[in-house]
Amino acid sequence: MGVARDADARQARAAQVAEEQALVRQAQTGERMAFDALVRRYDREVLRLALNLVRHSEDARDIYQESFLKAYRNLPHFRFECSFYTWLYRIVTNVALDHLRRRGSRREEQAPALTEGDSGSSDFFDRQPQTNPASSPEKQLWGQELSQRIGEAMKRLSPRERVVFEMKHYHGLRLRAIGDLLGTSEETAKNSLFRATRKLRDSLSDIWK
Amino acid sequence: MTTDMTSETTVQQPCAEWRELLTLLAAGGELDPAEQERVSRHMAHCAACAASLERERALLALVADDHREPDPALLAACRAGLQDALDRQEERGWLRRKLSVLLPASWISPRPAWSGALLLLIGFTVGLLGPRLLLRSHATPVSVSRSVPAPDASAMGANPSPLLSAKPQAVSVAPAPFDLRAADVAGINVFRSSESEVPRVELHLRTQQPLTVRGTLDDDDVRSVLLNVLQDSRFCPDPDLRLDAVNLLRSRDNDPAVRSVLCRAARADGDAGVRRMALQALAGAGPQPMIRDTLLDALAADDDAGVRIEAISVLRDMAMRRAMLPDDRILNALRERAQKDPSSSVRVQSVAALRALVPPPAP
Repeated sequence: MGVARDADARQARAAQVAEEQALVRQAQTGERMAFDALVRRYDREVLRLALNLVRHSEDARDIYQESFLKAYRNLPHFRFECSFYTWLYRIVTNVALDHLRRRGSRREEQAPALTEGDSGSSDFFDRQPQTNPASSPEKQLWGQELSQRIGEAMKRLSPRERVVFEMKHYHGLRLRAIGDLLGTSEETAKNSLFRATRKLRDSLSDIWK
Repeated sequence: MTTDMTSETTVQQPCAEWRELLTLLAAGGELDPAEQERVSRHMAHCAACAASLERERALLALVADDHREPDPALLAACRAGLQDALDRQEERGWLRRKLSVLLPASWISPRPAWSGALLLLIGFTVGLLGPRLLLRSHATPVSVSRSVPAPDASAMGANPSPLLSAKPQAVSVAPAPFDLRAADVAGINVFRSSESEVPRVELHLRTQQPLTVRGTLDDDDVRSVLLNVLQDSRFCPDPDLRLDAVNLLRSRDNDPAVRSVLCRAARADGDAGVRRMALQALAGAGPQPMIRDTLLDALAADDDAGVRIEAISVLRDMAMRRAMLPDDRILNALRERAQKDPSSSVRVQSVAALRALVPPPAP
């Protein structure tokens, strides 16, 4: 019974892969609807990755748009040597890394200091209201402070560390696959994860003591 | 187990040699069943490691609570923006196709008078401007490569682009050669279309104007920047980029300059991960005295247990492959670690290496 279920699951996966390959081939001939269908399969995940990396809606939109435009322009060169997902995510991670690196140097040069009492925040997460109807104002305030602390802690990670941490914990990828997406080794991805976790631990350890 | 005495409440730190395995266990999906069993057995009698795993899980839960799904309105706005951008892309493509159809053949052939006039105009223009263009191009040695941001150039699967994205600058005075060794490295991207293909490398340099060097490891410019990244971490404070540089250079360990830089990184890099990977990269380089010395120094003096374990692993591997003879120096170093190293894992690995390298006495 179990063997039959496994065979069914494998067949279903193979059918999905074949369907996606057919879509890619159609998109490569210039069929816009086929490309739009590919976008719809992955764009929520891409936006989720971008949003949690940069914690800023406008920047996440830029990463989203730049990634899919690059995919559109370069789709004719895709040779099916890997899955479309892997190919797309290589583009997305490179765009995200470039964005984080540029933002890092811009922040050093021109980041305005928020004055005390400034209620405006450019951080998407700081502006999200608590949706739990049972949460008291104190809890909501604590939630916002916590979010700010986590945001500050995330800023201490390098671009690579942020991408590896995000992809490992929230996109279900193994470190070997993450290394492949980043054009590096599993060992390097592991080292990035260790450093990211250590930095977060050091920044946030007082919160749960 | 170590104790952190700096905080008011004493927090017991996990055993140094188990810390990374605990992180992988907390992350999930990385350890095979045998490794998981090993970690569980250790935690059964090490309260500090067990507590550390719980803290790590609590940290991940805390951060996960802050993780967000995209707002439907934001996703809709992104989709709409992308559709507009794709429409503009398609229009540009249509326009280009139309222009190539309209000019020049179908425009010129039924109009001989116009074609004649056009030819005269072209001839006059070439005659007037040609000598000036030739003079300027001879005065300008190409020594600076400036990349025009070309979104298509870095795509996966694209055919290898020209080695350097160079646009010859037509200036009347030859500029001083740009010293790539003096540039900070902001990013390294690696592109591999297949396992067998030589990887293409894109190096983003932090200069007055953004500069990108593209090519393969066979290009002098790419190699010199990568060597510089490892020689002086001032040009590259990000350890991930130094790891990338080691990873890329390891396939060139037959180059003496590369071997020298890898040895230096293995001894002196500030990041233990980089030192470890540099030792790994030297494993394929053959029985060079400099490499033997580097491995022995790492084994004797590196303050990171993981690096010392890597040194043991590489020494053992090279000896088993007959790439390096396990002489007295190596065996004595292993014996010392087996007896005196503060890390139990290093002691265990040293004993295992000695057993593998020293045949048991004949009965």
